[in-house]
Amino acid sequence: MFESLQKGIQTGIADKANLIQLRGQKRKMITCTVKNGVVENFSNIRLSGVGVRVYVDENSWGFSSTNALDSESVEKTLVNAYRLGKASSMLKNRRTPLELGEKVEAEISSKLKKSPDDLPLQDILEIPSSAFKGAKEADPRVADVKATYISIQDDKYFLCSEGSRIHQETTRIMLYVNVLAKRSGLLCPASENLGHTGGLEIFDKVTPYSLGKTAAEKAARLLEAKPPPPGKFRVVIHPTLCATLLHEAIGHPLEADLAMAGGGFGNRIDELVSSRLVTIYDDGQVQGGLGYFPYDDEGVECKRTNLIENGVLRSFMHDRTSAAQTGALPTGNAHAWDYSVEPLIRQTNIGIEAGESSVEEMIEDVKEGLFLEGTFGGQADVNADFTFGFQGARRIRQGRLEEELRGANVAGNAIEVFKTIDAVGKKAILRPGACGKQQFAVQGRLVPAIRCEILVGGMGGK
Amino acid sequence: MDSKADWENLSNMVHKALNFLDRKDISYAEAFFTSTRTTEVTIRNSEIFAQNRADDSGVGFRVVAPGNKVGFACTNSTNEKAVIEAGVQAMSLARLSSEVPNFALPEARRLPELRGLFDSEVAVAKVDEAVDLARRAIESAEGFDERVIAKHGLVVFESGWRGVANTSGVDHVERETRAVIYLGASGEQDGEVTSSCYDVAFSRSLDLEPEQVGESAARMATELFKPRKLKTFKGSVIFGPEAVSSQIFTVLMNALKGENVVTAASPWAGKVGQVVASDSLTVNDNAVLENGFSSRRFDDEGYPSQKSVLIQNGNLLSFLHDATSAHALATENTGNASRSHGGFDMVSSIIGNGYRTRPEVYASNLVVQAGNRTRDELVSEIRKGVLAESLAGFPQAGSGVVSAQLSRAFFISNGETQFPIKGGMVSGVAYDWLNQISGVGNDVKRYQNAIVPSITVEEVQLVGA
Repeated sequence: MFESLQKGIQTGIADKANLIQLRGQKRKMITCTVKNGVVENFSNIRLSGVGVRVYVDENSWGFSSTNALDSESVEKTLVNAYRLGKASSMLKNRRTPLELGEKVEAEISSKLKKSPDDLPLQDILEIPSSAFKGAKEADPRVADVKATYISIQDDKYFLCSEGSRIHQETTRIMLYVNVLAKRSGLLCPASENLGHTGGLEIFDKVTPYSLGKTAAEKAARLLEAKPPPPGKFRVVIHPTLCATLLHEAIGHPLEADLAMAGGGFGNRIDELVSSRLVTIYDDGQVQGGLGYFPYDDEGVECKRTNLIENGVLRSFMHDRTSAAQTGALPTGNAHAWDYSVEPLIRQTNIGIEAGESSVEEMIEDVKEGLFLEGTFGGQADVNADFTFGFQGARRIRQGRLEEELRGANVAGNAIEVFKTIDAVGKKAILRPGACGKQQFAVQGRLVPAIRCEILVGGMGGK
Repeated sequence: MDSKADWENLSNMVHKALNFLDRKDISYAEAFFTSTRTTEVTIRNSEIFAQNRADDSGVGFRVVAPGNKVGFACTNSTNEKAVIEAGVQAMSLARLSSEVPNFALPEARRLPELRGLFDSEVAVAKVDEAVDLARRAIESAEGFDERVIAKHGLVVFESGWRGVANTSGVDHVERETRAVIYLGASGEQDGEVTSSCYDVAFSRSLDLEPEQVGESAARMATELFKPRKLKTFKGSVIFGPEAVSSQIFTVLMNALKGENVVTAASPWAGKVGQVVASDSLTVNDNAVLENGFSSRRFDDEGYPSQKSVLIQNGNLLSFLHDATSAHALATENTGNASRSHGGFDMVSSIIGNGYRTRPEVYASNLVVQAGNRTRDELVSEIRKGVLAESLAGFPQAGSGVVSAQLSRAFFISNGETQFPIKGGMVSGVAYDWLNQISGVGNDVKRYQNAIVPSITVEEVQLVGA
C-alpha cells in the first residue's frame, strides 16, 4: 500500500501544495446479529480505499477519496484533492500556515490475545446466540432481544509530504444487546454493551450470556418501576452513564472546532470552568480503550492531553488547523471514520480522574435525589447545552436507595452543571463509546461515578 | 466513478457473480450495487473549511441457502475476483447460519414511472457551484444580523446509480441525483450565546436557495436572545416540523415497521383497523412522490414503489413492509426495504449503509397530511403552552418515551408567543400524545425521509429548570 501512496506524493502536486496527507486503508468487519433466536444478519464486510488531503495557499483543504487502490487512481485522486482545495482558496482573507509536523516513522499493532481470525465462523455465531439465551432465560416477560457481535480489523497506512510514514493495525471487538420487556401494553427497553481494542479475550471477563442476562433483568425490573419525576435533582451518576455525560457535556464543547465557534468554553483557557474536584483528559494511547489511536489521521501522536485540571480549563482538543489558528499545539485529535471521509476533531478515550468517594458515600449524603444509571445516548450543542438518556434510576431518600424508576433524559448546560459536582468516585472504569458528529467514530471513556445537580425530563409524580 | 462505462462494467461483474451463485446449491441470491460520486463543501466558523469528493462503488450480496438461511457479504473492490469472492462469502455465511422464518425476496414486477429522480445539472455540477452556494448561505446568515455566526454547514451534490438484481428475475437500475444545503447558526450578544439553529433543504436538483436557508437559520438564532426559564407545568405544546421530524417521526417509525410487528416490539401490533391517534392525524408513506428526496421506482430489494396509507384520520390501516415482514404477516409488501435506515443506531452506524448493509424496513417519504391552520392560528388557540420548534435528545423508540431538551422553544400565553425558553424539557409518551392532538398546521417542511407540518398536542408535561 505504501508504494502506491508514495507514487502519489512524487507527482508535481507536492511542489504546489503546502501539505499532502495520504491515507490508505483496508478494513474487514464481521458482524452477526441474532434477533429472538434467529440469525438475522451474518455479514462479512470488506472495504478498502485511499483518502487524500491537500492543503493549499495556506488557507484551504481539499479532500478526495477513491475505493480503487492502484497508483493511477491514487494520482487522480490527489489531483482532485488539489483542485478541490483551490476551489475556495480565493475566498479566504486570512492565511493559516501550519506548523511543520514532526516526521514520524511508526509501526503500531494493537495488543491482541485471541484474534477473531482464529475463531471458526460458526463459533462467532455462538457469541450473539449466547447473549440472546442469557437475555431470554432471565425473565419470561422478555419480549424482544437483539444481540450483535462486531469485529473491526483495520490496516491503516499514513504518508505525508513532510516525510511521516505510519502503519497502524488494530482489532476491535464489540457486543451490543438490546432488550424489550413487555407487560400488557407496556414496553421497557434496556441495553448493555461491551467493546475494546483487542481480541476475543474481552469475553473472558464478562461472558456474552451474562451480558444478555444483565440487560434483560434490567428491562424486566423496569416494568415494575414508576416513571421518574420531572425537575431539577441532586443526582449520583453511575459510571456507565457518566461516560455519556462526559462525552456530551464536556467532550464536545472542548473539541476546538466547536469551542472556537464562540460561547461555551471558548476563550476561557486558564479560567475556572468546573468544580475543583474535576480533572479531565483525552488519551488516544489507553491500551484496550475503544478509542485507542496512537496516531491520528494527520500523523500526530495522540498522547494524553489534560483538558481541565482541578476545574481549570487548560486545553482544547485540536487538529493541525485549529492548533495553528489559535497558537496551540496539535493534540492528535483529527480522526476519520474511514479512508473515504476527511478527519474531524474527535475525542479518543476521554477520562475523568478518579476522586476520593465511594458510590455508597456519595449516596449517603443525599437527602432527596436520584441515582441514575445506564445510557441511551445524547447530543450536545456549541453553547455547552447537552442532553442524554438514562435507562433506569433509583430514588434516594435520606441517604438510602429506595424505589426503582424508569428511564428518561436529563439536560443542562455543562458550565452550570459541572460547577455543581461535589463528589467524584474513587474508581474509574473503561467504557466503550461512540459518536455521530457528522461521521461515525468509536471511542473510549474512563469514568468514575459523580454527584451533581441536573434537570430530569421525567413525567411521573413526586 | 460515475461514468456509464464503469457502471456497466460493475453491473456485468455482478450478473456474472449471480449466475455463478445460481449454479450452486442455494435458494436465492441477490445483489445490491451502487456507484456514486459525492461532492461536499463544509463550513466551519464563518468560513468554508474544506471541499471533499468521494468516489465510491460496491456491491452487497444476500445469499439464501436451503432452509431459509441467510448470509451477507460486500466489497468495494470492483474487480471480478473480489465481486465473486463476496458472493461466495455470503454463501458460506448463509450455510453456517440458522433459519430465518418467512424469509422472502420479491419476484420481478413492473415498476411505476416516476419523474424527478435525476437531474443532469447536479450530475455535472462542479465543486465551484457548491462553494458558491456555501458562500452565499454564510453571507446571507451573517448579513441578516451582525450578531449571527454561521457555525457549521454543508453543501452536498450526489450523483450515482443504484441497482438490484436477484436470481428470481428482479433486475432494476435507477440513476439518481441529490443536492442538500444545511446551515447551522447561532447568535452572540454580550457574552450570551444561543443554541445552534439550523435550516436545511433537500432536493433532487440545483434549485437550492442558499439565501433563504442562511437567512432562515439566522432569523431563528436572533429570536432566541434573552431567554427565560420555564416553570414545570402541563400545557399545550405545538411541535414544529423540525421537532416532529426528529422525535415524533422516530416513535412513529418504530410502531409502523413491519418487522417490529412480527416480533411484537411495536405497540400497535394487532391493531390494524383500530384507532391509534386523534382523527386529525393522517399519515402515508409515498415513495412515488414526484421530486421526492427519498422517492424511488423500486425499494432496496427491488420491489416496486407505491404510496401506502398508514393512518387515516387516526385509524391504523397498514404497516410498512419489506418482502420478509409482509410474508411473515401474510400481507402485501409495501416496498419499504431500505439500506439507509436513518436515526442513530450504533450497529448500523458501524456497518454503514447502501451496499454495505442488508435492507431493513424504513420509510421512504413519510408524509403527515397537512391541516388547514396556519402557524399563527395554532398559536392563537393556546391559553398556556409552549411552541417547541427544535428538540434535542433521542426518544426511546421502544417505549415511546420522549424526554427532550427544548433547544429552540417559546413560551405561549393567551394566544401569543411571549419569550424564548432556556433550559427546559418536554416529556411524555409519544404514543399517548398522538391521541391528544388538537391541531395540525399547514406549514409543511421537507426532511430526508419525512414531510411534516406542525402538530399541537394537549396536556403535555413541561419541565422547568
